Amino acid sequence: MRLTDTQRQTIQNIVTDELGPGVSVKLFGSRLDDAARGGDIDLFIELDEPVKHPAQLAARLSVRIMRAMYGRKVDVLLSAPNLSEQAIHRLAREQGVFV
Amino acid sequence: MNDNLSERLRFLKRVVEREIHHLRYSSGSVFVSPFTEKRAAMLGEDEALAEKLEAYTSRFCRLQDTTGDKLLPLWLRALGERTGAVADNLDRAEKLGVLDSADKWLEIRQTRNQMIHEYIESPQILADAINTAHGYEETLVAFALAMLTDAERRNLL
Repeated sequence: MRLTDTQRQTIQNIVTDELGPGVSVKLFGSRLDDAARGGDIDLFIELDEPVKHPAQLAARLSVRIMRAMYGRKVDVLLSAPNLSEQAIHRLAREQGVFV
Repeated sequence: MNDNLSERLRFLKRVVEREIHHLRYSSGSVFVSPFTEKRAAMLGEDEALAEKLEAYTSRFCRLQDTTGDKLLPLWLRALGERTGAVADNLDRAEKLGVLDSADKWLEIRQTRNQMIHEYIESPQILADAINTAHGYEETLVAFALAMLTDAERRNLL
């Protein structure tokens, strides 16, 4: 995983601040590849409760994390009981590594 | 005041005014009734709605780009301010009082990725993204107009 301990802690802190403790956050996509360089930070966040404003929540988390990481591009993919499940969710769940 | 800068500001004023006009028209067509998850799920069959939504999202995105990527740096330069990365320019705009929240602007910018209906397969996310943009429309327009009004007041136009 190409994230420093500080970056992982930053991500955890922001997610906990927004959603409370114990939420599952996984890194997936190109940042898992230790041989690659740069690239977006793709995060998969799984929630047990339905989320009322999924687009807003994903955008807010992305921007907060992006700002904390000096503008590095961050994309947040949400999974929640009220959101339809797609292939990308399965892929992120299977391939993702806990942050 | 550099004449080129002035000329460029006058041009962008005309562009922004046209973009606002067209965005408002499309907004009226899409939000004639609330954009619910049910309507979002119908886009595959409802070609007329898909076309209206396409116009709305393009126009929204274009106005945000013109305002944030073109007008804002130009206005800052006209004021003698330094310009830099988009987020820095937005922070400056917030400090100068023409934008409520740079974070909110960036969030809307990020939400745009979720407004593209061919790509977003979840009607819940699509509906929320479109409604979020709609809820931000007046803030977006106010930001553009605040810079133009300020430029006018300083005789920069």
